[in-house]
Amino acid sequence: MSDEIKVDLELDLKGLLCPLPMVKVSQNISKVEVGEVIRAVATDPGAMADIPAWAKSTGNEVLQAEKVDGEFVFLVKRVK
Amino acid sequence: MESQQLTTLTGVIDKKMNRQLKQYMDICARCAICKDACHQYVGTGDFKYLPARRAELIRQIYKKYFTKAGEFVPALYEARDPDENLLEELYESTYACTGCRRCMYYCPFSIDTAWILSVAKSILIAAGMGNEMLGQLADAAIFKGDNAEMFEDVMISGFKEIEEEVRQITGNPEAQVPVGKQGADVLYVALAGAHSIRPAAVIFEEAGENWTISMFEAANYGFFYGDAEKARLITKRYIDEAKRLGVKEIVVPECGHAYRVAEFFYEAWSKEPMPFKVSHILEKVDDYIKSGRITVDKGIIQGKVTYHDPCQLGRNGGKFEQPRDIVKAVTDNFVDLTPNREKQWCCGGGGGIVAMEEFTKTRLASGIKKVEQLKASGASVLACPCENCRLQIEELNDIHELGLEIWQVIDLVVAAMPLPGNKKAAE
Repeated sequence: MSDEIKVDLELDLKGLLCPLPMVKVSQNISKVEVGEVIRAVATDPGAMADIPAWAKSTGNEVLQAEKVDGEFVFLVKRVK
Repeated sequence: MESQQLTTLTGVIDKKMNRQLKQYMDICARCAICKDACHQYVGTGDFKYLPARRAELIRQIYKKYFTKAGEFVPALYEARDPDENLLEELYESTYACTGCRRCMYYCPFSIDTAWILSVAKSILIAAGMGNEMLGQLADAAIFKGDNAEMFEDVMISGFKEIEEEVRQITGNPEAQVPVGKQGADVLYVALAGAHSIRPAAVIFEEAGENWTISMFEAANYGFFYGDAEKARLITKRYIDEAKRLGVKEIVVPECGHAYRVAEFFYEAWSKEPMPFKVSHILEKVDDYIKSGRITVDKGIIQGKVTYHDPCQLGRNGGKFEQPRDIVKAVTDNFVDLTPNREKQWCCGGGGGIVAMEEFTKTRLASGIKKVEQLKASGASVLACPCENCRLQIEELNDIHELGLEIWQVIDLVVAAMPLPGNKKAAE
């Protein structure tokens, strides 16, 4: 799925412990324009709940949240 | 400022100002002893971070609207309107404060600047100037609480992965990370990260504890944000869970503010008695070691080990000795930082400041006293039971090339336990 979507900002969040991956996505969302997409890769499983919860509560959209080769890959679209 | 907003802001002050806070408004002698106690003022030399100055901004509004002298002769009594300039300075001085309360310890009148700044945060939130990042993180936690079923599968999947690791470390194929266990004695409310769950699970399993893991995390950004209602809702998630499961005790993880929130603030926010015993994980671990429920070996941890008191656990939580006793149980080579316990320097990473990028320069400059302490100790290993402190000290460690290994206390304990997984890792 990630191959089909243009990624505007890559975030390497590997090694960061939760809730830092969510914090980093939140800090960086304003660095992309509305409609643009952040691709974030984390290794802490807690991010699988944290980042979607943050996106829902802030009105942004998680296009993808999946485990790939032991890493957690997120595509987050800035909606507002 | 529009009269409606002014009414709102002064209304916030009126509502918050109890007898003790009014006394703080009157009693400051401007002796400035607090300037030498504040890591942020010492580290930056910036006037806005001087504790008495932080409080003075609230005092100026208070004088203008709640004292006759300030109302009629504002220039003489340094009384001010909460105008844009004041609110901007208030934002900087308030959200940068880590709430360590070292200034209160040294203040001859014990003025609690952090408490005064809780009023400041309420004013800022009412003015639409609450810190956006902290607000977002608080809202995300509340969303998780309101939509727990949405995250249940992913949470349980994560716990199962950790359970496999626990089985490898303990060599016990039956070891568990129990989820939703009715009748458990202990509900362990971890942080969101696996690092907070794995070592605790190893210790609980080895101690034979009847425990279960919470579906929620103990971190509370509503507390840092300064919104008591958000903070209450975040805490209420695991209080309700504990009631549902019928546990006897809530155990919070290696996190400074999580302990303080559960033990000291929830009752005031919810206006109901805390129905459970609240313990910090290190109180449990200390008890397990002293009662022989777990065994640790002093020969495993190499190098001189020191300990940093997180402000919310130590000075503000009163837990000084149990963590030290644990560290001393795993090493004969312990050295304390100077000063320590209630006089311990704040590392500069508390109060949610590590999540607020705008304060990074201030945060790192404010760590200089901690750097000096760590260098003077000669330690090569630091045990530190707070996530925010570790994040800050890890950055200081890199910048100042301190060469420290920085550990959670429970990780040190697990490393010192005679477990098959540890032996395998050492081979």
